[in-house]
Amino acid sequence: MLIDSNVNLGPWPFSPIPEYTGPQLAAHLAATGIRRALVSDLRAVFLPDPMPANRRLFAAVKRTPALLPVPILNPALRPWREQLDECIKAAPIRAVKICPNYHNYSLGAAHLDEFVAALSAAKLKLVLNVRLEDERHKYFALRIKGVAVADIGAFLQRFRSQHILLSGIYKPDLEKLAPSHANFSADIAFCEWINTLEALLEKIPANRLFLGTCTPLLSTRGQVDKLVRARIPARAKKLIGSENARRFFGL
Amino acid sequence: MRIIDVHTHPIFFRKGATPKEVAALVAQSRALGIRHMVSLGDVLVHGTHPTAAQVTAMNDMNAKLQAWHPDFFSSFCFLNPVLGERAVMKEVERCVTRYGFKGIKLEISNNARDACMKPVMAAARRFGLVVLQHSWSMVNLKLRRFHSDPIDTAQLARRHPDVKIIMAHLTGIGFRGVLEAKGCDNLFVDTSGGYPEEGLVEYAAEQLGADHVLYGSDLPIRENSVTIGRILGARISAADKRLMLHDNTARLLNLN
Repeated sequence: MLIDSNVNLGPWPFSPIPEYTGPQLAAHLAATGIRRALVSDLRAVFLPDPMPANRRLFAAVKRTPALLPVPILNPALRPWREQLDECIKAAPIRAVKICPNYHNYSLGAAHLDEFVAALSAAKLKLVLNVRLEDERHKYFALRIKGVAVADIGAFLQRFRSQHILLSGIYKPDLEKLAPSHANFSADIAFCEWINTLEALLEKIPANRLFLGTCTPLLSTRGQVDKLVRARIPARAKKLIGSENARRFFGL
Repeated sequence: MRIIDVHTHPIFFRKGATPKEVAALVAQSRALGIRHMVSLGDVLVHGTHPTAAQVTAMNDMNAKLQAWHPDFFSSFCFLNPVLGERAVMKEVERCVTRYGFKGIKLEISNNARDACMKPVMAAARRFGLVVLQHSWSMVNLKLRRFHSDPIDTAQLARRHPDVKIIMAHLTGIGFRGVLEAKGCDNLFVDTSGGYPEEGLVEYAAEQLGADHVLYGSDLPIRENSVTIGRILGARISAADKRLMLHDNTARLLNLN
């Protein structure tokens, strides 16, 4: 059984990805062995207020227990605290995702102190989205880069008592951060090289890597095969494929 | 399913060049169903504009791979078209007659629309070789002087309808690149390049026909399990998957 920590619902304006309903998404994931998934709604990336997308997400996954909603919040918006409360009341959430590059704020912003403290008080995990796309292939007018590795490093240093999940980080950036920061884990959606996991495990232990497919922006089967067909110990596969997510999200 | 990978760099910046490393790669690839690989060479080890001697050394390295595993590797002759007609013809003739190379590989020494491509295409025609042209959308990368946008590669194919051309990197050329390639019977697209973006394989099959899409990984920059899984997981028929993963390249390069 696999747990996928990086899955999305909703349309993407720049490519014709499949727009699944909750049950359709669960069935699509199950076809590759994914039995549970942490899901966000892509509309929240672009809407000025992410809450309509989060409400849509909660409704979409309500009767699909395999899909666990991860709302996307924008801590730069004044009412983030009320929005967080609404999310907590609306669904049994385990984590909140932030997308600083899409929501136009710096990871160094002062308001993140309160935001991270509020998540911690509510016993929620923080997922930091680093990217959703390869920057080289973005729509020409969308001038958004992935979150800079130096900014992530400074953020991890600032919130040393938090363990943060990095979503969509590139392999070289992950390898750069791993030796100096112990308080993060990362999904492997945007990590790829020949023998990706064998190479990654030389730099970062298996208990800090999560299966993440970035479905439906990336091919689910291709991403799952990166793990399933990797030549790494079975124990490491199990950690990356499910156990780390189970522990981190308290599933 | 039997698989042929038409786009690989088994030796990359001199890594992976020992017999032991190559044997391990062959065994690992076979475990994934890959029965044959086309080696395109260590194409950037000497930068974007290698000298004639460097080109020869790179092709000799490819020949060595073929000699070690003749049933597993075929090679394309790497060229720097900017070196001119004489150098191009001499190297192609050497690689074909001495080593039996099956195609020509063009990287980023120049743009595919440049005049220096004429002798390259003449050589391809003379020796019956397929030409694999590095291609990538230049919309966000402003490097078109020496990188070929899909427009440039499609133009090359239209100028030379009697030469079979592979536009590399489906993911790099994107949806626009597929449309540029459409309607050009001598132009094929390989599936290499970039993360496994959803929908592109299906789109290429729909627009170009599955018989014009070839499986390529771009190993070691990418991982075979991911690039194969992307095709196996695509919403296309099993017959189309077989064409992409094996039959098209087998036919194109006479590998049966």
